[in-house]
Amino acid sequence: MTRTSSRVRSSVAEIEIGRYLPLYNRLSDEQQYAYKLLLPGLLMMLLIHFIPIVWGVLISVLGVDSGYVSQWYEAPFVWAENYRFVLDPRTVVGERFWYSLRQTVIFSVGTLLLTYVLGLTAALLLNQRFKGRFAARTLLLLPWVAPSVVTLLIWRMMLQQQSGIINSLLLSLGVISEPIYWLIGDNTIWTLVLVHSWTQFPLVMIMLYAGLQSIPEQLYEAASIDGAGRWEQFRYITFPQLKPVSAVVVLLMMLWTMINFTSPYILLGAQPPQSGQVSILYIYNFAFSNYQFGRGAAMSVVLFAIAMAMAMLYYKYLFDQDFTEGDR
Amino acid sequence: MIPDEFRLTESGRETLFNLLSKGALGCLLLYALFPIYWMILSSFRTRAEITAAEPSVLPFTLDEAADAIQDPSVLLTLLEYENYLTMWDRFPVFDYFVNSLIIASVTTVFALAVGCLGGYAFSRYRFPGKIGVGGALLGTQMIPGILILLPMFLLFVWIQETLAIPLIDTYHGIIFVYTTFTVPVAIWMLRGFFDSIPNAIEEAARVDGCSRFQALVRVVLPMAAPGIAATGMFVFLTAFNEVLFASVLARGDVTPFAIGIQSFETQTTAYWGEMMAASTVATAPILILFILFQKPIVEGLTEGSVKQ
Repeated sequence: MTRTSSRVRSSVAEIEIGRYLPLYNRLSDEQQYAYKLLLPGLLMMLLIHFIPIVWGVLISVLGVDSGYVSQWYEAPFVWAENYRFVLDPRTVVGERFWYSLRQTVIFSVGTLLLTYVLGLTAALLLNQRFKGRFAARTLLLLPWVAPSVVTLLIWRMMLQQQSGIINSLLLSLGVISEPIYWLIGDNTIWTLVLVHSWTQFPLVMIMLYAGLQSIPEQLYEAASIDGAGRWEQFRYITFPQLKPVSAVVVLLMMLWTMINFTSPYILLGAQPPQSGQVSILYIYNFAFSNYQFGRGAAMSVVLFAIAMAMAMLYYKYLFDQDFTEGDR
Repeated sequence: MIPDEFRLTESGRETLFNLLSKGALGCLLLYALFPIYWMILSSFRTRAEITAAEPSVLPFTLDEAADAIQDPSVLLTLLEYENYLTMWDRFPVFDYFVNSLIIASVTTVFALAVGCLGGYAFSRYRFPGKIGVGGALLGTQMIPGILILLPMFLLFVWIQETLAIPLIDTYHGIIFVYTTFTVPVAIWMLRGFFDSIPNAIEEAARVDGCSRFQALVRVVLPMAAPGIAATGMFVFLTAFNEVLFASVLARGDVTPFAIGIQSFETQTTAYWGEMMAASTVATAPILILFILFQKPIVEGLTEGSVKQ
């Protein structure tokens, strides 16, 4: 009895390896070793990234609401009903979701522009030779290194309409005559851009700075022999040479801002105004305040699809550019 | 008509440019550092001082400063460190700190262990599917967290109810989630550090009789220590700062600092002084560690973007 069962078991094992992992057997010893090293990481990614995403898409076509939180599998199959509902601008939810997508675009494009200008300026300034350059670089990195939950709350304190230092400074400098409501009302999204850019510009700075350092010195020497001034050197050498790094910066800042949750969530507090509700915050509040997980998942899938489409279009655009430049 | 002696010479233009760029740098530094300065300053202020209509930007008035120069012991009486004493009683700050430390450090250990193996495999071996796996690693950085959170919440509730394994509001639940989120970045950063260690080192170790794994653990890992430390700090900070998953999966007894600190602002009152005191306590060690170990951290972050 025991013999047969063990024989059966061993043959099952053989079948399994032979049938399910034929590719693995074909790998060289070294390649198998590489996969063994990667195995824990890959397994975790499968469990926490791949499976939940598939699951999320599944839930987005089920009518999971407050009645089905613990029995999601009993929720009715509703086809694209959730998508139709959240994308229909005539419903309140649909209207707000579209609005949140618009705010997301403002948030990510605004942050990208501001961080790029600030980061490039800082990188160019740091790229000169002067005493204390290393110290200046360190200090400029601190906004990014300090925990963002903390720095966002500092900004929240500084931007209070009544007691905040920002309004007080602007008033005493005569820039404004009335205290500004930074954290409520229609302009909240711009406050969000300003504050989020403060937390992110050091990252852009340090990436562009690394890019500046890798530009060969000879290019500038040749240019100055040809009589190029500072502006010409920037226009015809620095900026074009930074193009590859800039491409990475643009993509990362756009995507990371688009899916950033911490900044709006902490900065805008418990009752975020509509204007500051970028998509991810809107989905979060919507899904957890009503337990509308099916519709929430549908909105998440839409957001993910937009992010992916943007990344792909951008890659394609970069590829086309490289191609034509190589032709020249 | 500008007289000749006032017209800028070549060196004069150089000086002007230098002055301008120094000024710009000064403005940037002020912009970057003022909020941090304001945090520290506010943490030493009383409620009345914080909510005053026209708060002073300087820590002391000129008279106070003059007194302090003559007798430095005056400084001690000027500091209002009340907030640093009251915050522990008013809010469970200590628990928040302990929870954050447990969650972030265990995450760091696990992410580094898994990340070292994966990063090493990426750095040293060619294997089929390498580009695909690398793309998937980077792809994970583009997923909106909410897309994973909703199904995972349902999954955790389901596991809790059918298998009776508690996952929501537990250390192991949130640590598992954080480890997975930080592993792709850890692999990516560590791969860069392993790349900078010559292959000949392991070959020598192998000749001396080490197995492949021993060569990695005993020879390569110690050499990559600065890089591992930098990656560890990055992972720690990511886990410390995370709020999306923590706000749903880590409440109650395991509430971390990032979530707990928000309770200092209630519907009616905001305890800014205490909040800034707790924030200063949380931020100071991180900033000091960064200033001490910044070189490998900065290199690790920029490597991938510039090298491509």
